[in-house]
Amino acid sequence: MNNYVIKRIGLAILTIVIISIITFFGMNAIPGGPFDSEKATSPEVKATLEKRYNLDKPIVQQYGIYMKNLLHGDWGVSVKTGRDIWDTMSKSFMISAKLGGIAIIISFILGIILGCLSALTRNKLPDRLIVFFTTLMTAMPSFVLATLLLYLFCIQLGWVAVWSAKSHSYILPVISLALYPMAYITRLTKTSMLDVLGQDYVRTAKAKGVAQWKVIYKHTLRNALIPVITYLGTQIAYIITGSLVVENIFTIGGLGQKFVNSITNRDYTMIMGTTLFLAIILVIANLITDIAYKIVDARITLE
Amino acid sequence: MKKLISKMLVAALSVSMLVGCGSSQKDSVSETVSSESAISKSDGSTLRINIASEPDYLDPALTTTSDGGTLAANSFTGLFVHGKNEKVVPALCKDYKISEDGLTYTFTLKDGLKWSDNSELTAADFEYAWKRAANPKTGVQYAYLFDIFAKDSDGNINVKADGNTLTAVLINSCPYFLELCALSTFYPVPKTAVEAADPGGTNPGAWASEAGFVTNGAYTLQKWNHNESMVYVKNPNFYDAANVKVEKLEFMLSADDTATFSAYNAGNLDFIDSVPTDEISTVDSNVDFKKIDQIGTYYITFNVNADLFKGMSAENAAKMRQALSILIDRGYIIDNIAQTGQELATSFIPTGMSDGNGGEFKSDSYNYPDKESKGYFSKDFDAAEAKNKAVDLLKSIGYKFDENGKLSSETPINIEYTLNVNSGHQSIAEAIQSDWSAIGVNMTIKTEEWQTFGNDRRAGAFTVARDGWNADYSDPVNMLEMFLTSSGNNHAQFGKDPSNPSAPEWNSYDALIKQIYSTPDFAERAKLMHQAEDRLMSTWAVVPLYYYNDIYMCKTNVKGIYKTKNNHIYFMYASVDK
Repeated sequence: MNNYVIKRIGLAILTIVIISIITFFGMNAIPGGPFDSEKATSPEVKATLEKRYNLDKPIVQQYGIYMKNLLHGDWGVSVKTGRDIWDTMSKSFMISAKLGGIAIIISFILGIILGCLSALTRNKLPDRLIVFFTTLMTAMPSFVLATLLLYLFCIQLGWVAVWSAKSHSYILPVISLALYPMAYITRLTKTSMLDVLGQDYVRTAKAKGVAQWKVIYKHTLRNALIPVITYLGTQIAYIITGSLVVENIFTIGGLGQKFVNSITNRDYTMIMGTTLFLAIILVIANLITDIAYKIVDARITLE
Repeated sequence: MKKLISKMLVAALSVSMLVGCGSSQKDSVSETVSSESAISKSDGSTLRINIASEPDYLDPALTTTSDGGTLAANSFTGLFVHGKNEKVVPALCKDYKISEDGLTYTFTLKDGLKWSDNSELTAADFEYAWKRAANPKTGVQYAYLFDIFAKDSDGNINVKADGNTLTAVLINSCPYFLELCALSTFYPVPKTAVEAADPGGTNPGAWASEAGFVTNGAYTLQKWNHNESMVYVKNPNFYDAANVKVEKLEFMLSADDTATFSAYNAGNLDFIDSVPTDEISTVDSNVDFKKIDQIGTYYITFNVNADLFKGMSAENAAKMRQALSILIDRGYIIDNIAQTGQELATSFIPTGMSDGNGGEFKSDSYNYPDKESKGYFSKDFDAAEAKNKAVDLLKSIGYKFDENGKLSSETPINIEYTLNVNSGHQSIAEAIQSDWSAIGVNMTIKTEEWQTFGNDRRAGAFTVARDGWNADYSDPVNMLEMFLTSSGNNHAQFGKDPSNPSAPEWNSYDALIKQIYSTPDFAERAKLMHQAEDRLMSTWAVVPLYYYNDIYMCKTNVKGIYKTKNNHIYFMYASVDK
């Protein structure tokens, strides 16, 4: 197990280095630069700005400088605004992580409860309702949901302000983020529960006279959770790093919009920062998922 | 309701697919505003505002965007300020003198001026700020505004402070210098704070990168939640604090129209600086919908070195461009695409631009080729007549037409029109495509992402491209010097390839602009500027479509907010009627 973890960490670092190379050279290959605007910048000023951010050096050297600084913990400053990248990213990540974290917890708990309920009441009314609801939710993208929520609760009912400088409400964005994964987890749990419920050992347990809740909790649910955990691993990484659409609609300063805006702005340091940050989180999430398998299911060996 | 939801969805979808780059370009949504919702719910102490998303810089010299300029104008103030009536009026300046030759300006500052941290504000702060902004090492994009200053032997601009007196020496007499003094690039900055935050001299905007920095204007930034909100509070040390009634300005930082327009309609905002294009027709007659003319022109630029003109003389190439210009139905574009009642452009220099001599540049007193329309062609458009004229012009330079009045297959015209991704630009391109197809011109549309487009246009990698310019200050030279051979804004590529026989001779234009710079007689100078515009328009490489205007929405009981022609909004003298 330890060997495996070490190997995986080594692979993860390699992955991140490769991503950094592709991103760095890719972003420099696309036309336009951070200092191009509608009105032309004078050559002297442009030269100053390029020198300030090392853009006047050969590209390989630029990459070298960037990686060296990064290894010293220096993510640099935004080429566009002069603000510290790490500061900007960590603050906006905290916001995204808070929203995403709440959304994931809600969707995990409700998803599993609804999934079990659905499996146990197969083809009866609760199951039918849950299937209808989850099908609807998985088919509806978050921007549709967010827009509907905004329209209903902010404009029609006026319960929540669209925006406020005093107390920003996170209820609607959390709902918009949570419903899709919740529906998905419900379906996953149901399917794998049904699968496990038909297994011999479950029938044996039932025949032995083990209490119903014990059969579900000890024998069925733990095994049924494996696909859910696979899904959760990557989903957590995606959801805590922010959603551009939800952030835009509800005016939330999360990481999602920084990622996209940095590319349109050719904010090189911000592109690198957000890409590497996301890459690191995804790689870690994958690693944790693999280790979590082992904990849930003793049959899986990590070698 | 169905319609609204579907529109909101489309808007959200478009956001999800593509995020706009600039802060001024927005697309999207709304609902009809009833008259009661046009009243602010504010108690009078706070204004809630949306202009754009995150500003780039809050340092008044470094900001490059109009939203950054607005934030600077409400938190800093210079020697002069834009008044409500567009004229600049003294702000920190008590008194000023201009020398006989028009080159030396001596300003005396008001007494007892203070920064928000209670330190004294003196003429030395101006000297420092101006030298800093003019120095290319600082990296200020608007540094070129200081090109009119004489230089000291040390290479710095010639500006000297002595107690409360500031003396500036210019290289040429300049009719718009006082107006420049009202621009954010000319605001003072607190030297101690600037230098303390950036000891290495590599991040000049660092001192104003978070809330709490020192200012000298009506408000100071108290709280900044990035990409969410900014809260400005009144600065008691502002020289005119007695006239500032609203204690707090709260800015919503969003460029998403679904959100901003909804927030305005739901009563969460009192002022929004943009209205979705699709909704303009619904809010057009509302009492809280406002329009203001700007000094800028939307136009299309032909690349004079394009292959399209290969083998032609410069005169014939100009005739071909003229024919294409004649075919464009500008009125249609304004009524159906631009939609906010913009004025049809018949010249490059827009209506409302000063002539630098106390009058308006575009006036009856100048003998324009089309006297009635005060420009270079007629305002009225008649499709049949336009077609005849265009065909005659093209025939005169050797193009052949078939019996249907379309270009013959022996002499086809194929044009590629380049634009950046934007539904408005796209619709205008399509309108022109349809106009040109009347005589069988085959126009294709090439859409590029903004940065790529900017690059291609500057480098001349296009045949015809959309273009536009909002003047930095009210003087025609700002729009004429763009076409100097050496200018980075010379998208038409004038003079860049002197050996190309189909491009117009351009040394004379460069010489003319230099002459305008150095002419101290402002009446004579105005004449020269007309000559320069005549020369520019005679190439037909620049084809004006309309003059920009701007719109905003402001609750009816909020008074005193004004927006200048160069796009800065002043909130400091606002008040809310209850």
